[in-house]
Amino acid sequence: MLTLEAIVEKYQCKIYTLQNYRPDKVIHFGFCSDLMSDALMIMNTVKEEGVLENTLLITGLATNQSIRTAEMLDVEVVLLVRGKVPADQVIELANESNIILLGTDLTMFNTSGLLYQEGIRGISSK
Amino acid sequence: MVSFRKHFDIQAGNYDEAGKAASEIKRVLKQLHFSKDLQKRVSVASYEAEINIVIHSVGGSVDFLIQDNQIFLQFVDNGPGIEDIALAMTEGYSTASDLSRLNGFGAGMGLSNIKKSADEMTLVSDPCGTVMKLKFIDREVVEDDSSQTI
Repeated sequence: MLTLEAIVEKYQCKIYTLQNYRPDKVIHFGFCSDLMSDALMIMNTVKEEGVLENTLLITGLATNQSIRTAEMLDVEVVLLVRGKVPADQVIELANESNIILLGTDLTMFNTSGLLYQEGIRGISSK
Repeated sequence: MVSFRKHFDIQAGNYDEAGKAASEIKRVLKQLHFSKDLQKRVSVASYEAEINIVIHSVGGSVDFLIQDNQIFLQFVDNGPGIEDIALAMTEGYSTASDLSRLNGFGAGMGLSNIKKSADEMTLVSDPCGTVMKLKFIDREVVEDDSSQTI
């Protein structure tokens, strides 16, 4: 388990949505994909309450669609990797949809590996 | 009895606006305290269907209807239609463009994800357009006599 504050500090994340940022928000799980089709398909199989709310969507896709996907799935935090910078309209949509949008320069593989080392686990598709 | 009806137009090729209808549908379901499971199933299916219209059609719309614990969605577009529905339902099969992949879609999972999310799905298509009807039932709703309309 990691708090957003710890994630931001450990991986030098930029906080794009300061107005809805919650440093004490806890993350237990992660899912990474640049394809939102896959995120929608696999994360939609998670039926246990409270899992997706504590899951980090890790993606290199810095468009509105990452935010919309998180919103539909009740995922509250999106972490952009590879130094992707979201456009102003993406940040605006994240704020409107109450999604916390973070960004790191790390690659998707390194981000996931480091999070795994800290005890963050992948969501189960079954 | 809970009753609500809304129509949304969906613009072809507009990736910035894609998901707006699904987002509003989700907001209404949340406001009316439908179960989280139903909210997620309806949101995911309506988002996938909306994206399909944005990517594949020349434009269309969705009609959203709530009747008590049942949700009805009717997606209609104006063509060019799905050539082979059985093939389009196959997981991984996609005719999506590079532009849609740049926007994170086109994995060929949309229709089967919609089917898994909905309680009932009918899909008819010809070159003039496609009509997809979806029905969802919220089994967690306790039926009562209270009257509610928004």
